[in-house]
Amino acid sequence: MGKSKMSVVKAGVLRGLSGLCALAAVAALPGCATYSANFAQVESSAANRDLDKAVKTLDALNLTGPDETLHHLNKGVLLRLQGSYAESNKHLEAAKRLMERLNAISVTEQVASVTVNDTMKAYEGLPSEQLMVYSFKALNYLQMGDVDAAAVEARQFDVKQKLIAARNKDADYLSGAFVRYLNAMVFEVVGERDAARIELEKAAAGYKAQGSEFSVPSGVRDDLSRIRAGKPVASEVVFILHNGLGASVDEDNIRVANPMAGKSGPLMFSLAVPKFVRRSLPVHHVVLSSASVSSDSEVVENVNGIAEKSFNDRLASIIARGVLRLGVKNAAAQEAKRQMQDNPYSALLNFAADVATNVSERADTRTWSLLPGNIQMARLPLPAGRHDVTATYYGAHGNILASREFKGVEVAPARKTFVADYFLNPPAAAKAAN
Amino acid sequence: MLNMKTGTVLLIGALALTLGGCATQVKRVGVEQVKDLSGDWNDTDSRLVSEEMIRDSMSRPWIDNHEKKSNKAPAVIVGNVRNLSHEHINTRTFIADLERAFVNSGRVEVVASKAEREGIRAERADMDLNASEASRKEMGNETGADYMLIGTINSIIDATEGEQIRFYQVDLTLVSIADNRKVWTGQKKLKKDIKEAKFR
Repeated sequence: MGKSKMSVVKAGVLRGLSGLCALAAVAALPGCATYSANFAQVESSAANRDLDKAVKTLDALNLTGPDETLHHLNKGVLLRLQGSYAESNKHLEAAKRLMERLNAISVTEQVASVTVNDTMKAYEGLPSEQLMVYSFKALNYLQMGDVDAAAVEARQFDVKQKLIAARNKDADYLSGAFVRYLNAMVFEVVGERDAARIELEKAAAGYKAQGSEFSVPSGVRDDLSRIRAGKPVASEVVFILHNGLGASVDEDNIRVANPMAGKSGPLMFSLAVPKFVRRSLPVHHVVLSSASVSSDSEVVENVNGIAEKSFNDRLASIIARGVLRLGVKNAAAQEAKRQMQDNPYSALLNFAADVATNVSERADTRTWSLLPGNIQMARLPLPAGRHDVTATYYGAHGNILASREFKGVEVAPARKTFVADYFLNPPAAAKAAN
Repeated sequence: MLNMKTGTVLLIGALALTLGGCATQVKRVGVEQVKDLSGDWNDTDSRLVSEEMIRDSMSRPWIDNHEKKSNKAPAVIVGNVRNLSHEHINTRTFIADLERAFVNSGRVEVVASKAEREGIRAERADMDLNASEASRKEMGNETGADYMLIGTINSIIDATEGEQIRFYQVDLTLVSIADNRKVWTGQKKLKKDIKEAKFR
């Protein structure tokens, strides 16, 4: 073999290797294994009430960079379920600050999202998720007995909700009705009855605006009547249940026409889009009891329903960006093929370019999946003192799923004592039930 | 063409530069230096409040009035300063400044707060058992406060996309424990215009 022929072969091999390196780099991009698939183990451990393992598994996922917000959101929930309220709030606050910072546009992330995929963008959370952070932080403070700090969260929420509502003018479901209901309780406890009344009025309007899927909880109506009548707050236990797992997002593929068909590339593209998957809710209702008194729970937040509406509102822009992305990728691939047509390894490199285009095309399946599917609240008026309280969980057919006892719950005069628990389906069962 | 030695030196230099960029950097700055990072309540706000409250409280007639009436310095206890704002604010920083100013002026006495007293009383009880008679301190000799310092921090936020106006109002009041009279009220208002970055 002559020296010149050797150098041509060497150059071809080098170019081939660089092509394969590019392919490997694309394959190694975050998002190649979908987020929801990676996260199933965390959910499974949480569902089995093995929260230590769930925390360890979450830490091992090493959600950093564009996924850092998700790490803090999910860890905040796990620590809350563990009863580590102060630690939970540190993570939720970190998530809140990241969400604020991510409001600003990153040009590099925008470019990456229209050239690689949407997982290249930092996760800033659905608007509904951004609102939920405040309720979890407030609940953590309430369970630590720090009502003034809970009131701070309530005031911050009011500012945030107004901004989100202004940004999403047609999204009535982003009224934050549940958080306002909770905030009303907080304001009443800290002695701001006018603020409590206003929050209850906004909560009632918010529940109504959320549509037929939601109803105004009787607790909102009763509290509003009582405050308007100038009657004092009664001492009671307020029980909050995190019921089931929030939505999961899967990857779906849809066929879209190539806008450049006839000039370059195939007639149709396969576009990876996220698909919202509702998960079943294990608990139909809770009966909260102590000695001879009992009270039934109400759904106070349909987390899944709101998340689905929020998701659907974003879907059109996700698809539009995806179509643009496929156009960009196709143009790049066609140009690369044109430049490599004289290369002796052009067939291999063309194949590599096609694979790289397809492998990098992944849907953004990230979501704050440790949110509950819905939140139920049961309120049990009790005289001041120590009480043993039992929460009994009922399934849709009236069957008892579980029962939990809370010993020696301290109830102060004219105060509310907050108690919380969770009941999750394992992820596989949750999906199978749908 | 680079020889091997030059190449090694360049490589080490590049590596050192890269690693240097990863190290945490700490620089001491003057406590009076104003540096706003997020727009949230910070050390400068706390300092402005304490300066105003110290100046105002020490220059008002409540101290002279008390001395004329009872022939001794007024004793103050710090009560609850409630945070009714939109932020988690540590009120102890400017309250501690005010306490320090009272004590160091020699004109106002400050007695231990409710939480502080618990530890001191426990120590006194321990002395009863373990300290020598000469050094032992008896129970029942505490100085009762004449006035309680209470207060609030309130805030108003007007926000739109990309910009916020934050207004803080700190109110402190000295209330006579004997008859609930307010003998001094101090107030500090702060206003901030915060423009958020459009790009990151």
